[in-house]
Amino acid sequence: MQRALVLRRTRSITRRLIVDRAMATLFALATVIAVAPLVLVVAYIVVNGVRGIDLDLVTKLPAPVGEAGGGMANAFVGSAILIAIASAVALPVGILAGVYLSEFGRGRFAATLRFLTDVLTGIPSIVVGIVAYTLVVVPFRSFSALSGGLALSIIMIPTVTRTTEEALKRVPTTIREASLALGVHEWKTVLRIVIPTGLGGIVTGVMLAIARISGETAPLLFTAFGSSFWGEGPLKPIAAVPLQIFQYAISPYKEWHDQAWAAALVLMLFVLVLNVGIRSVTRTGFQSRGV
Amino acid sequence: MSRKLLIAGGFSVALVAAACGGSAVPPSAGATSSAVAGSPAAAAPKVQLTGAGSSFDAPLFSKVFKGFQDKTGIRVNYQSIGSGGGVEQLTKKTVDFGASDFPLNDEQTKAAEAAGGPVVHVPVTMGAVSIGYNLPIDGLKLDGPTLSGIYLGTIKKWDDPAIAALNPGVKLPSTAVAVVHRSDGSGTTFIFTSYLSAVSPDWKSKIGASGSVNWPVGIGAKGSEGVSGQVTNTPGAIGYFELAYAKQNNIKSAVMKNAAGKFVEPSVQGAADAGAGAAANMPSDLKAVFVNAPGDTSYPISGFSWIVVFQKQADKVKGQELVDMLSYVTTAGQQGVDALYYAPLPKAVQDLDAKAIKTITIGQ
Repeated sequence: MQRALVLRRTRSITRRLIVDRAMATLFALATVIAVAPLVLVVAYIVVNGVRGIDLDLVTKLPAPVGEAGGGMANAFVGSAILIAIASAVALPVGILAGVYLSEFGRGRFAATLRFLTDVLTGIPSIVVGIVAYTLVVVPFRSFSALSGGLALSIIMIPTVTRTTEEALKRVPTTIREASLALGVHEWKTVLRIVIPTGLGGIVTGVMLAIARISGETAPLLFTAFGSSFWGEGPLKPIAAVPLQIFQYAISPYKEWHDQAWAAALVLMLFVLVLNVGIRSVTRTGFQSRGV
Repeated sequence: MSRKLLIAGGFSVALVAAACGGSAVPPSAGATSSAVAGSPAAAAPKVQLTGAGSSFDAPLFSKVFKGFQDKTGIRVNYQSIGSGGGVEQLTKKTVDFGASDFPLNDEQTKAAEAAGGPVVHVPVTMGAVSIGYNLPIDGLKLDGPTLSGIYLGTIKKWDDPAIAALNPGVKLPSTAVAVVHRSDGSGTTFIFTSYLSAVSPDWKSKIGASGSVNWPVGIGAKGSEGVSGQVTNTPGAIGYFELAYAKQNNIKSAVMKNAAGKFVEPSVQGAADAGAGAAANMPSDLKAVFVNAPGDTSYPISGFSWIVVFQKQADKVKGQELVDMLSYVTTAGQQGVDALYYAPLPKAVQDLDAKAIKTITIGQ
């Protein structure tokens, strides 16, 4: 009986190896399929975008159809301002909420908060745009940079909150205990020990959130609205790169299509650089602490 | 590590400061126009105008508003969100003017009047709607009843006797007609369905004329860019879109039989000729639809596009700028628009526009 079982096992090794190989190939194939769209999108945008890239794109205001030159400098500046407004609102709220959830949040209230944050992540961005439209645009009777920034901040907050929480949770308990054992207050421990230790993770979250919102179009359609000029302050409409790409892409004119491709390329490079930046920050973060 | 963060932090602070620095510009022109006028910083107060609506008008406006800015220094920010959206935002008073390829219907008029009083329609341009098709045949001829038959689904093949009768000697393929229409509400659809209603009692009773209708056949595509793209990529397809899309994308357009029985290609001139007739018997509210217009050279699927504004402009500065803008767009701004495939307004319509603009009251 015992002997037969051993034999059976030995015989099945070949079969197991075959299954193993087959499955490994299948998984590798799935990975390739998953990554292929990224490669295709990047390649396609580069091929089409390179044509329209020149200095005018980032230094000049839009030109009317049929006139040579012109760029979308206002859109790049507009996007930067929108991201700045969104960050100014979302970073304090998001980081503090993350610290709370990781360090102080206990029980039902914190659990509810965490659940709601996750729900917020799943809300379609266009819905967020409508919220900002109803709360800011309609009462002020004007589309505005402020409403666009607020819409983007709502999208940023859950990402920042959850990544901050996760980053701080990864800080070893022993470090906290060491600090507390030396008689340091809990608040001071969080401020001076826990947050600096988890800073790499927090920064990652912030950059991820910025990368996420810099390509958002839907929440800006009825808030930031778009403009063919430089911004005129937070209560006036403002241009944004994704909006400009959208408007140009649906036009019948080739020169606008070329500019849309070029802007898409710049936007994509920005997000890629941000992502690569995240990796380098987190890596140095870990190395300097010898993790 | 921490230095990196400091730099990043400093950068974002600077950005925020830059964003807030812009707020030195008068925030809301609505309530503080007198304060703006008294501001020492600007000798001649210039408030930016904001408009939204028809995507058909957007390229035209990009050119005309640039000319207006060069002349007066007033900047007009126009965003194409669709005709319906423009009217909606005007009603919500989030924009100073709307632009639409179809006149406000009763429901829209009611809502707008409740929000801000009577609305003035100012025709600003005219355009032709091309019937684009994807067949290896040049100069396909169609007439109203046949086109209506195609869009009603009663004509299913390209070699249908009705199409063959219009194209003697042309070898038509026996492939199926792939009908493409807009999936979103649009002014282009309004002009197209107005035409079909004018030429086909069947269409009028079953479907009617509107910005969005219940299509009996065909597939929907978003925007004129979607319809023209679909037609380009589908052999045997037929679709409708503004002339500019046909010209810019090299899509063949059907030659349409007009009310005088002549076959006319879609063109700026054809639309202008059709519009010239409309000026003669224009209703007082300027909400004229002139599809299937008389005249040998009139292209039958043509229409106006309007700027719509509230008649009562409470804000003196903005109101005056708006009037100046409308006057410019309907006169000097009409020059050179045919290069962008828009038909310039006939003199008679320009005069009617001037009258309509005069009814706008400022600061009362």
